[in-house]
Amino acid sequence: MFFRMIWGAFTRQKRKMLMISLTIALGASLATAMLNVMLDVGDKINQELKTYGANITVVPKETAALQNLYELEDENSSSKAYLREDELGKIKTIFWAFNIVDFAPFIDTQVTLADGSAAKMVGTWFNHHMDLPTGESLDAGVQSLRSWWDVTSGTWLNEQSEGSENACMVGTQLAKQQGYKAGDTLTVSTQYGTKNLNIAGIFDAGGEEDSQIYSTLHTVQDLCDAKGYVSSIEVSALTTPDNELAAKAAKDPNSLTIAQYELWYCTAYVSSISYQIQEVITDSVASPVRQVAESEGAIMEKTELLMVLITILSLIGSALGITNLVTASVMERSQELGLMKALGATDGSITFLVLTEVMITAVIGGVIGYFMGFGFAQIIGHTVFSSAIEMKTMVIPLVAVLVALVTLVGSIPAINMLMRLRPAEVLHGR
Amino acid sequence: MSKRKMFFKMITASLMRRRSRMLVALLAIAVGGTILSGLITIYRDVPRQMGAQMRNYGANMIFVPGEADTKLSLELIDKAVSFIDPGNLIGVTPYRYETVRIHEQPVMVAATNFEGARATSPYWLIEGEWPSAKDEILVGQNIADTLGLKVGTTTAVVYTDAEDDSNTPNFGIDMKVSGILETGGSEEEYVYMSLEDMADLTGESADIERTGESGRIDLAELSISASGDVLSSYIEKIETNVPEVSPRLVKRVTASETAVLTKLQSLVLLVTIVVLLLTMICVATTMNAVVTERRKEIGLRKALGASDNSIVAEFMGEGLLLGLIGGILGVILGFAFAQYVSREVFSSSISFPALLVPVTIIVSILVTGLACYFPVRSATEVDPALVLKGE
Amino acid sequence: MSLLELHGISKIYGDLKALDNINFNIDNGEWVAIMGPSGSGKSTMMNIIGCMDKPTLGQVLLDGKDISKLTKKELTEIRRDKIGLIFQQFHLVNYLTAVENVMVAQYYHSIPDEQEALEALERVGLKERAYHLPSQLSGGEQQRVCIARALINHPEIVLADEPTGNLDEANENIVLDIFQQLHKEGTTLIVVTHDPEVGDVAQRVITLEHGKITRDALNESFGK
Repeated sequence: MFFRMIWGAFTRQKRKMLMISLTIALGASLATAMLNVMLDVGDKINQELKTYGANITVVPKETAALQNLYELEDENSSSKAYLREDELGKIKTIFWAFNIVDFAPFIDTQVTLADGSAAKMVGTWFNHHMDLPTGESLDAGVQSLRSWWDVTSGTWLNEQSEGSENACMVGTQLAKQQGYKAGDTLTVSTQYGTKNLNIAGIFDAGGEEDSQIYSTLHTVQDLCDAKGYVSSIEVSALTTPDNELAAKAAKDPNSLTIAQYELWYCTAYVSSISYQIQEVITDSVASPVRQVAESEGAIMEKTELLMVLITILSLIGSALGITNLVTASVMERSQELGLMKALGATDGSITFLVLTEVMITAVIGGVIGYFMGFGFAQIIGHTVFSSAIEMKTMVIPLVAVLVALVTLVGSIPAINMLMRLRPAEVLHGR
Repeated sequence: MSKRKMFFKMITASLMRRRSRMLVALLAIAVGGTILSGLITIYRDVPRQMGAQMRNYGANMIFVPGEADTKLSLELIDKAVSFIDPGNLIGVTPYRYETVRIHEQPVMVAATNFEGARATSPYWLIEGEWPSAKDEILVGQNIADTLGLKVGTTTAVVYTDAEDDSNTPNFGIDMKVSGILETGGSEEEYVYMSLEDMADLTGESADIERTGESGRIDLAELSISASGDVLSSYIEKIETNVPEVSPRLVKRVTASETAVLTKLQSLVLLVTIVVLLLTMICVATTMNAVVTERRKEIGLRKALGASDNSIVAEFMGEGLLLGLIGGILGVILGFAFAQYVSREVFSSSISFPALLVPVTIIVSILVTGLACYFPVRSATEVDPALVLKGE
Repeated sequence: MSLLELHGISKIYGDLKALDNINFNIDNGEWVAIMGPSGSGKSTMMNIIGCMDKPTLGQVLLDGKDISKLTKKELTEIRRDKIGLIFQQFHLVNYLTAVENVMVAQYYHSIPDEQEALEALERVGLKERAYHLPSQLSGGEQQRVCIARALINHPEIVLADEPTGNLDEANENIVLDIFQQLHKEGTTLIVVTHDPEVGDVAQRVITLEHGKITRDALNESFGK
């Protein structure tokens, strides 16, 4: 009989039940969408912040300062320290390999141009394709790492094309000074040789790179007689904002307890990623670029906090909406429920009946709402970040608990009222 | 008693004496209004607030001399800076580069104004203290490692004039390392000192006192909290008015900042729209329930001879009044929410757009009105006889 | 010409004939009880006379005007101007005070007048309870408010549906006394009831069974 009553309530009060379900669905979808967006916004914003370029630099252990100092005395000193080119792929094998978005090696040297003036020439990856030992493949290089560069004429140097070994890109200022245009050939020479390079494009970087020449790694290695070596690596990694632990570890990882060390090592702090890179690249020092790492942390924290607060507000909103409707709909049925009391139903059995009905509606509404919220989250993800929002499984129990709680709380005033109902009054229409 | 008075009496009685129910509806509308006004305020303020956060990235504009082989002076920089809205300006830092010797090694020195550097380069991590007294220097991490300098070490800094080949004795001044600078970037390869100490070191102090500051600044870094368009307009103004100064954007920072801010703002916008849409629907269903609940009363009024229009008018009057009160509450709560968020997240206060007050109230009234209208209309279709029978 | 004339009234719901060819007239000032067991068609009759429903067949003349062909809106106007309704379940607006409930009827009819409404309450002996909410009034008091509301616009017909159905004997007698008073003042009263005590005090009793009039007679004990 209990089920017949419930069934009757659903089939014969379709409109009303539909309305409650709809409100719960709306509330649940709001909660789902907001929670998902909130949980994923950190990653998304992090990805966006990658446009600021690398947040970790790797240099040889023999300090960079030394070479700089020597350079002041002798531009063509050969006593430089280098990193090994064949180890570059290892960066994608560290614990947090998945968080390494992009990286590029650099090697630079002073070259003499045809008119005798000197310029700095940098060898790097542009859009280097590499197959990793893990079976994955990766495209990395300055084309993505220097997203703010404008190629004002010509195109990006394409490493995969024929003759890329003899191609280069020139900064706007140097191009203006020397009258270079895309398609021209320029001659560079050092004590180790001379090369004729085809200018693939002119770029505007808005910085000191504007007076430099960029070419492939191997071209520049030949020019400074450092085959198989690079002088620095820039790495762009997705990181978690630093906290106290990370700050302590960055100073000296050995000062941590084993548990702290494991927590630190297994969290994507910029310091732990740097530490892991140092482990795989021989004789290297990897350090966070504070200008980028610091700001990233601040912005991500702010964005996440902002979203948390907005989410809380919208959760309150949807909770109120659901509570309202549940209360209203139960109160509306006071007559029917009063009748049941007159027929001898106990408070407990009526409460149980009402709660069962409401919970069934809530389950239906909640499930529909979850999928609607999924849709809303994806709309937000695609419109704003042009990528899907990852649906976290933890949102499902969160939304379920929320809907259950809110519906129950919403039923309290109504049930309280039911307890006080006196059947005679209800039936006599007071 | 006039008809109008009775109308208002009925409406207010309904609102006042059915307090708990109306409170529930009012709460729903107020939350709707809060979300509307609060989120829109935040949405409008996000670029400004986040823009300020973005200034953590450091300078987004630099001044270099307008012509090759010339230098800037503090006066010129001040003149150029006067074209920038002081409200947007976060910091200006002049830099003068010279080569000195420490421990007989050549080292690049950047002479600057530390007050400015703190503002334009908030990401600098100093081990020790910022230089505050005379003859205190800040040493880049790499230099410190190479030369074995520690915080508190006093070392002789010797200036050699590169263009001066005569054998005039070099000036040497003992300076104290007040801090070691860590940035992970090229800043670690410099030694920083104040412009005054530099002038002492080069022996220009006496000249300056006699003839005033001559131009010896190589470049100035500026951190300006403004969008790309505004920055470009500043550049144009400075270029035409102060040709000796050539302002340039630090593209790496400005381009990325614009990209990230645009994303952030559209994120908040979209979230606002979704939240608003759903909240409005929630308000509508609540009002719908509130009206549907009173079908019996509507039937009674019809039996007493009320025309459909007068019933609609009464219920709408009630709904609109609720919308008005809810809207006003919403404006207040929304402002409080936006202010709270701003304090918590950005640690600064928020400006509340005055236009949002009428907009929120009108939207609240409209939504409540519409949400009441349809169920009331459909309730008036009901046969009074059926309602009164309690069916 | 009679105040109310019913000519060949039938109301058919699918296969069921709720009313089957009903004919009677009611004159001005009459006090008529319509009686019959449940399902006899009393309520349907009440709704048709009260301008809340329309007959399937036949003609209803009120003041010589055929109301069976009017639109809903026109019916509303007639109901407002000519009929005062009293319900078994009182149907007061629960958030308005007694006097305000009376004023609601004035409001829809013409212009609310608190003084007049208070006088109407005084007639039913409720002047001192005028500013109480329905929830603070007893069942009998609520029914008296309902009567005051029905009378406030001086209707041509007062139509009561089981007016004593929810009342105890003491209150029933109070209500019937008020009806006596109204009748003396010349008000036309139609009372639909299944309570013989209520029927006994009426001037004329029409008995319905299965949608047909089985008896229509003056009450011999009336006035005694």
